[in-house]
Amino acid sequence: MDQMSLLVCGGTGCTSNGSLEIRTALEQELARRGLAQDVKVVTTGCNGMCGRGPILVAQPEGVFFHSVAPEDVPELVEAYVIGGKPPARLLYTEEQRGPVIPKMSEVPFYAKQQLIALSNRGIIDPENLEEYIGRDGYQALSRVLTTMTEEEVIDEVTRSGLRGRGGAGFPTGRKWAFARAAVGNPKYVICNADEGDPGAFMDRSIVESDPHAVIEGMAIGGYAIGASEAFVYIRGEYPLALARLNLAIEQARTYGLLGENILGTDFSFDIKVSVGAGAFVCGEETSLIASLEGRMPEPRVKPPFPAQSGYMGKPTNINNVETWANIRHIILRGAEWFSSIGSETSKGTKVFSLVGKVNNTGLVEVPMGITLREIVFDIGGGIPDGKKFKAVQSGGPSGGCLPESKLDTPVDYESLTKAGSIMGSGGLIVMDETTCMVEVARYFVAFTQEESCGKCTPCREGTKHMLDILTAITEGRGEEGDIEILKTMARNIKATSLCGLGQTAPNPVLTTIRYFRDEYEAHIREKRCPSGVCKPLISYTIDKEACTGCRACAISCPVTCITGERKLPHVIDQTQCIKCGMCFDVCNFNAVRVE
Amino acid sequence: MMVTVTINDTAIEVEENTSVLTAATQLGVKIPTLCYNEHLSVHGGCRMCMVEDTGTGRLVPACSTIVTDGLVVDTESKNAVEARRFIAALLLSRASDSPEIQELASELGLDPNSPDLDPVSNYLLNRRPEREYTKCILCSLCVRACAEIPERHAISVSGRGMARKVVTPFLKISEMCIGCGSCAYVCPTDAILIEEAD
Amino acid sequence: MSKLTPDTLNEIRDRMQHGVILREGEGRAKIVVHMGTCGIASGAREILTAFTDTLGPLGDDIILTTSGCAGLCKHEPMATVQLAGQTPVKYIDLTPAKVRKIIEEHVTNGSMVAAYALAVGSERLS
Repeated sequence: MDQMSLLVCGGTGCTSNGSLEIRTALEQELARRGLAQDVKVVTTGCNGMCGRGPILVAQPEGVFFHSVAPEDVPELVEAYVIGGKPPARLLYTEEQRGPVIPKMSEVPFYAKQQLIALSNRGIIDPENLEEYIGRDGYQALSRVLTTMTEEEVIDEVTRSGLRGRGGAGFPTGRKWAFARAAVGNPKYVICNADEGDPGAFMDRSIVESDPHAVIEGMAIGGYAIGASEAFVYIRGEYPLALARLNLAIEQARTYGLLGENILGTDFSFDIKVSVGAGAFVCGEETSLIASLEGRMPEPRVKPPFPAQSGYMGKPTNINNVETWANIRHIILRGAEWFSSIGSETSKGTKVFSLVGKVNNTGLVEVPMGITLREIVFDIGGGIPDGKKFKAVQSGGPSGGCLPESKLDTPVDYESLTKAGSIMGSGGLIVMDETTCMVEVARYFVAFTQEESCGKCTPCREGTKHMLDILTAITEGRGEEGDIEILKTMARNIKATSLCGLGQTAPNPVLTTIRYFRDEYEAHIREKRCPSGVCKPLISYTIDKEACTGCRACAISCPVTCITGERKLPHVIDQTQCIKCGMCFDVCNFNAVRVE
Repeated sequence: MMVTVTINDTAIEVEENTSVLTAATQLGVKIPTLCYNEHLSVHGGCRMCMVEDTGTGRLVPACSTIVTDGLVVDTESKNAVEARRFIAALLLSRASDSPEIQELASELGLDPNSPDLDPVSNYLLNRRPEREYTKCILCSLCVRACAEIPERHAISVSGRGMARKVVTPFLKISEMCIGCGSCAYVCPTDAILIEEAD
Repeated sequence: MSKLTPDTLNEIRDRMQHGVILREGEGRAKIVVHMGTCGIASGAREILTAFTDTLGPLGDDIILTTSGCAGLCKHEPMATVQLAGQTPVKYIDLTPAKVRKIIEEHVTNGSMVAAYALAVGSERLS
């Protein structure tokens, strides 16, 4: 159920109209139905519409009730609070001034979102600890420290079904249990905030808008596994997130929410911040730990897992930012509540950064199990400029590109993997018909190849060979059989690489071959880029019929290779053309053709 | 405590914390290795010793996989053999002039001139773009030897991906080097030359 | 600042509860400028300055504050304006000129500027 507040107007006018009785009646009715914890009743200042008092505003929907009488209260609770349908006679509708502005719940971008990890976004001042406390901040930590045993905390997280939001989806409760059971002292807690995927900004946004949620989650995790020291490993490229995180940690120490004897209990816990230097491989947990220890960031063979031997060889529990931000809600509202959201195997919500060729780029939090189509078309508002959807890539540079036919795939760990992609940490890149899928595969392999640490042979050498072949194809030098070579190489690199980076790097190649093989074949056999992207394979020409001789293209051409008299058709000198596409962009008569 | 591991249908009892590679050696099963040296810490990077864990169907490196009780390993499964040939071809594509790598590749049945060469190996051995000449396969045995035998840390790995190199600090003659030659001794491809100083 | 106990934590919570919702005596309006990295990159600092400058002496009973990203990066810079006891209004694609009009019409005269508004109300929490 949505967290709802009922704002009873406590202005002079409404009070004399009996609003305080409304408040009492509401509280009694809510208590009678066992909803006292879920719905808050608040007295507010004057609404200004004293003539229609008592006024009642229901948040978050912003529904405006007027002339409410105590005897309306049971109906209001029954129909609206429980049923979601406001009784029409209490709704203020007539005589509205000005044009109607939709409610947040009617804006498609927001309508299908459901906030847990981002529940404070846009609401609290992230630099003000007391505003966080005002939104039940640190209540979960307080409850854990005063009323729960370590085992009870782990049990709650386990039963919630929460799985790691960093990408692999390992059950968080089980991870905690391993670290708790491991022999060794001290134990450590780490927050992975080294978000390195191109186009992904979930963790950055959580830290920027609600840093205390991460800190509180980590403290609860520390209590559960028996750790009193922790680290946040955060990207150096995130200056604002870093500043807000440091400030939040300082504030938490001042208030006794970090440090010795937290909240007057005998639990002590503190967090150090470590800034990453931009290596993508540091997102892999053993590399991250090596970097924290001051060594070269390289993965090592698992097992032993960090839970057994992590930072300085001690039991260590690593979770990602979004995982930590979920913890306090699970403690406060219970495992049953959390596991009631989402799909069979993937519980709760997932934050995605929705980018690329989509109308509403932004940060979205949706219940697991929602389809890709709903995210791209309902929340994202579809493809701009009337273009056609071609693919959506989930999971960052190691994810797969899924076509139109896979848009009804529910977003959960298993379904995405089955379709050839991964959940990853939450990047979603939308591509339209002007995107060349071979070039996309080449781009992502170039990224993973650049970011490969080079420790193991298949990731270092193998991705380089794949990149060479993909580059050759996009330049028109592809040969018959290259597709099969790429597939076999991809299979072997996935099977033999040391860490997740190499094991997933071939995914974009495999999925683009699986779903867009015809594009590869056009490049290889016909030396043609169907999307008009790969420069060596395209040429720009001017359609004599459509050209008006306006000279716009000739003037804008940076190498002045377009000639022609005013008001007569122009011609592009193919030997000089650098295929920059400027003429195509400036032509107002669709006379420039790409082939 | 002893644990039982089955390698290529033969069971053997070994001490806890034994690697698959050690257990295989005890059974007389040969698994090719490059970055492994029993006197140095385990690296697990060259991936030459990949074998199949029959239970999960996944490939694992024999040198750095610790046996668990009941583990069943097949060193000659189709996938394991293909994986090791792939690794050998990758290394040969890097250090094509190294006689040691050529020999290893040939032992695994890779012949650049064979008409039956599979398309991937053919690409890696005959079609790939030319690379800068090197014999170094980045196994890091030299770095580990220097750090762990004379404990000098005179050389280390620098850069990432294809730019990865074994270097001395700031590419200058290392003040830490005592000229012991451990690095050159352990190098599997003779990539390190020892020269007399002037 | 003395260290918190569970009881003093609750006291702060009760005092700050619904800091988003204006109560009597807290001010006439609350303006939140959304300042995540995306907002700042799209010019949220200029928007914050425009609010400060335009409000000037008007600003005594108006709370001007900042928060993180509001999610809809495409329409940054964004701000939420809420008059006491009313539903918050989310304004999008702001410019300093729009800010001046919002202060004049919405904050001062109480009628929201529909042309700049995306929606009223708050997001659905789980």
